[in-house]
Amino acid sequence: MTFNAEVLYSIVASTLRSSVPLILAALGGCFSVRAGVSDLGLEGMMLAGSFFSVLGSYITGNAWLGLLFGMLFGAVFSMLHAVMHITYRVNASISGMCVNLLATAATPLLLNEIFGMSGKSPIVEAFKKPDWQWMNNIPVVGRILGAQNVLFFVAILLVIVSWIFMYKTKIGLRMRMVSENPHAASTVGLNVTAYKYFGVAMSGCLAGFAGAYLSIGQMNLFVEEMTAGRGYIAVVINAFGKYNPLGVFGGSIFFGFFDALQTIFQNIFPSQLVMMTPYVFTLLVIALGLGGSRGPAGVGKHVDN
Amino acid sequence: MIKNIDNARKIKMGSSFMNSAIALVISLILGMVIIGISGYSPIESYIAIFGVSLGTLKGFALSLSQATPLIFTGLAFAFAYKVKMINTGAEGQLYAGAMAAALVGAYITNLPSGVHALLGFAAAFLAGGLAALFVALCKVYLNANEIIVSLMLNEIIIFFTSYLANGPLKPPGSGVGQTKMIEDTAKLTKLIPQTQLTTAIFIAIITACVLAYLLDKTVFGYEIKVTGHNLKASNVAGINVSKISLITFALSGAIAGMGGAAMVLGVNYRFVEGFSSGYGFAGISIAALAAYNPIGVIFSAFLIGILKSGTITLNRTTSIPVELVDIIQVLVLIFVAAPALIKSIMSRAKKVRSKSSREEHMEVKTSDI
Amino acid sequence: MEIIRMENISKIYPGTVALKGVDFTLNKQEIVSLLGENGAGKTTLMKILYGMTAPSSGRIFYKGEPVRFKRPIDAIEKGICMVHQHFMLVPAFTVVENIIAGSEPGSNIFLDKKKARQEVIDLISRFKFNVDPDAKVEKLSVGEQQRVEILKVLYRKADVIILDEPTAVLTPHEVDDLFAVLRRLKDEGKSIIIITHKLKETKEIADRVVVLRDGNLINDNVDPRKVSTKELSEMMVGREVNLQARRPAKHIGEVCLKVENLTVEEDGKEKVKNVSFAIHHGEILGIAGIEGNGQTQIIEALTGLRKPKSMKLTLDGKEVTGKSSDFLKAGIGHVPEDRLSMGLVKEMSVMENMILGYHRESEFCSKKGLLLKKQISQYAEKLKKDFLVKAASIYSAVSSLSGGNQQKIIISRVFSREPKAIIVAHPTRGVDIGATEYIHNQLIELRDRGAAVLLISADLDEVRALSDRILVLYEGEIVSESMPGELSEVEMGLLMTGGNYMVEEGKQRD
Repeated sequence: MTFNAEVLYSIVASTLRSSVPLILAALGGCFSVRAGVSDLGLEGMMLAGSFFSVLGSYITGNAWLGLLFGMLFGAVFSMLHAVMHITYRVNASISGMCVNLLATAATPLLLNEIFGMSGKSPIVEAFKKPDWQWMNNIPVVGRILGAQNVLFFVAILLVIVSWIFMYKTKIGLRMRMVSENPHAASTVGLNVTAYKYFGVAMSGCLAGFAGAYLSIGQMNLFVEEMTAGRGYIAVVINAFGKYNPLGVFGGSIFFGFFDALQTIFQNIFPSQLVMMTPYVFTLLVIALGLGGSRGPAGVGKHVDN
Repeated sequence: MIKNIDNARKIKMGSSFMNSAIALVISLILGMVIIGISGYSPIESYIAIFGVSLGTLKGFALSLSQATPLIFTGLAFAFAYKVKMINTGAEGQLYAGAMAAALVGAYITNLPSGVHALLGFAAAFLAGGLAALFVALCKVYLNANEIIVSLMLNEIIIFFTSYLANGPLKPPGSGVGQTKMIEDTAKLTKLIPQTQLTTAIFIAIITACVLAYLLDKTVFGYEIKVTGHNLKASNVAGINVSKISLITFALSGAIAGMGGAAMVLGVNYRFVEGFSSGYGFAGISIAALAAYNPIGVIFSAFLIGILKSGTITLNRTTSIPVELVDIIQVLVLIFVAAPALIKSIMSRAKKVRSKSSREEHMEVKTSDI
Repeated sequence: MEIIRMENISKIYPGTVALKGVDFTLNKQEIVSLLGENGAGKTTLMKILYGMTAPSSGRIFYKGEPVRFKRPIDAIEKGICMVHQHFMLVPAFTVVENIIAGSEPGSNIFLDKKKARQEVIDLISRFKFNVDPDAKVEKLSVGEQQRVEILKVLYRKADVIILDEPTAVLTPHEVDDLFAVLRRLKDEGKSIIIITHKLKETKEIADRVVVLRDGNLINDNVDPRKVSTKELSEMMVGREVNLQARRPAKHIGEVCLKVENLTVEEDGKEKVKNVSFAIHHGEILGIAGIEGNGQTQIIEALTGLRKPKSMKLTLDGKEVTGKSSDFLKAGIGHVPEDRLSMGLVKEMSVMENMILGYHRESEFCSKKGLLLKKQISQYAEKLKKDFLVKAASIYSAVSSLSGGNQQKIIISRVFSREPKAIIVAHPTRGVDIGATEYIHNQLIELRDRGAAVLLISADLDEVRALSDRILVLYEGEIVSESMPGELSEVEMGLLMTGGNYMVEEGKQRD
């Protein structure tokens, strides 16, 4: 295999592609943690998004509506986490895992019940690869960006909007206050519960978006367990990126790179070992303590009403 | 007068039992709803399920054999939870243990029957234990989140064993990823011919009893319980919290590994790619349903085994989804984890019945799941 | 001119009555000190005023109008704000962010950071607060953080400011600064209520003193200039404040526990600065001091819970080092500061808690690691009987016992091991009178049996009554060593707050 410009473009393009679901899910994690709730349930919300976006596209025949459907159900699944943890004070890791387990159990069931199929769904309307000829005229960047889905650009937009929201608006400040010191927030009259629910709902939407990208963005169908642990990787990216949209963006590109490496190594190493790489990398990051940055001080704290 | 079980524990056990029982009932009811939506009669379906799994010999054997790996993974989660650590790595530990047992079973020869099988279990114990020890070390010394480390390790172990089973260890002519068949001396005796029920279930039950004894009657168990309840007080009392956490978590993984051995030595006679249908994660629900009590795990595993046996058998003739049991398991976990949730459902049910009752404002405290 | 009137306020909780028909008024531009012991009801009364809890009965009038506050935000909107004892700040945010969060300026959804900053700067200069608006709160001193809390309140245009134990965490210098601020606020037209149990400060700053005791109003018009601290404390406590009858040590023996050059560093600061002292057999050495002056760190070093920067510790001549289990084995007993979080496992039974820390001793545990249940239960029954622990049985969960009985479990467990030296921290905090007396007797008896006792307590009465020798700890240093009775309560109080220079200059009487 020769290393030339083609291969380089291919790697970068591949990296960006792989990082999109991570960016979106980890961004969702940002919202959750910055509202004071930990984000272990991203995997389940993502999987729900993958499935329901396919369902939505199947029903409406439109990929964008399918995406909305996926985001909606990502949020619905996130409500399990929200109700269990915020209202019933269950340990956030447990309630997060419940979302993951529920999605893992429910999606095959629904696949069977609704489509009568097992393993994967029928093919549906998906986001097509853009055919932006004019892009090819821009040197270097054009080739790479041209290989991206329109959703890639939506994701970048969301990162910017999220950052502005969190750090430049009043509600963003208040939400962050809830995550730092919910008692203090409640003494200045903020509705701590509402902010926490909001943060979790946003994480559900964004993780649902991430899942939809996997099913109708990159492909055009749903495959059982297609999230393959990316939600957990997003949790690590969120910590790695210091719970900040910009940091999360950078972290996702970084992790996406290791995911993209698979395509290169595929012909050299056995496939299972290659598929291991993102997880090994994530594990190294955690083990080396890089993924343990201190989050907001009030995560997991409740206020007595 | 010396009582055998303290009042404090009696009351706590009683309320945990009620909590679990109610959670199970609610989950089964919701399961009925799911069956109903599929277009079948819930009552008839449940009767069919229980009829098969308890009423027929084959069904009963399947109940017990399905329960076997679940006892191991349930014990694993429950034991780790005694020091308030969450072991989500049972799936990976299961695979590690299975591979270890498969290798011992296939490549070591000239051993007497019982010894060979036990050696297989020992290898699985070690493999699962080491995997868990790695996670525990990350947690204790690097302050890593053991949940995520375990989950990542799961993927790594599963991929790696799959690589082995598809590559270097794959017997020639095999269609699927698997290892060489184990020697006859390593195979576990079947308790009922032509079923998957083997002596492994005895090993599972004995393990549960050993853990119960450990927790209740030994100093080690005492230190585990103190550490799990109150870390600071444990430190003040001179207990080596790091050591306790490491040993407990490693043991937890070792037990999960044994579940893998049970599958390899008793059912498949080799390591087979993808042999586990989510036994690792099922262990979480099993443990929660049993209120993290080792002996309780035996019963809750049996209960889930019954459901699985029934749905698997019925799945051949009807299209009652096999995933139904998975959903019920998650529901059980949700309802056991949120006792306040159950209380509010119960009081709402009471309110519906008696129109004149006024609902009191509920005090919601932090719950320990 | 009356600005607040609370009429006949009662508050009943299941099992206790926190307030019994209390009347309270506040006049405009007045500083009132609300005085009382822990549990007198002063915080509850203010919580009602502030809207954090509702009264069981009674009415509140603000500026002549009847009001009912359902949540703190209702009170804040009317202009009644509270500065909490434990600051409600976000350490990671800047001063400006902390002040404006929740009431941000700006007409649309965006934060108008410039305007916010300017408004805060104006406020700072108007009240001469001397705080850096852009600093992150975590970098500020405690006094500065308190000023940020007060600025929060001023930003929201408070007319009535309630301060809950404001001087508890301040150095004497910071207290002076705070009082200067309060006087300025009063001149600007604000009305202030200070919840406190500090007598000296009450006399210094208050225009009027209101005394509560056991939920009752004792006196609502005390002139702090005309009353002595002794009279105030008698009103608070309800009896003549006497030094409890002293029981001096019968026989003080050789040095038992010797501490040399103890230095503890935390967060880059020296919390304990090269402290040395020795305790003899048969002696109670008391360390008096306001919490936060190094007591916790000293206790941790002497019990093996923390490795200090430097320390030489010997017990009867033998050096003691290692982990907490080593210290326990060496014969140093420990009655921890916080019984529930450090000394007991409330979910477990009385019996199981009675061997905590000693559970590996051969009388409770066989060589193979098995618990000797029969011996343990017999031991627990004996301890329960000897130490009068009131519980349904030794199998009852510790959570079902009262604070005093919970403390008795710890006392019984530690004392009956006949430790050579014992470190006792705040032994009667939150414990009723009956159990307090009992615990004090036990301490004396233990001492008379030859143990060396280190008593650390924020309760000056307790220290003066029990100790054979008293050290005062201030900012990590021993600032005085005296025999009981040598120094008056007021002098000790001054030493505890850093005023040792005043004591040296001449005796101060109130």
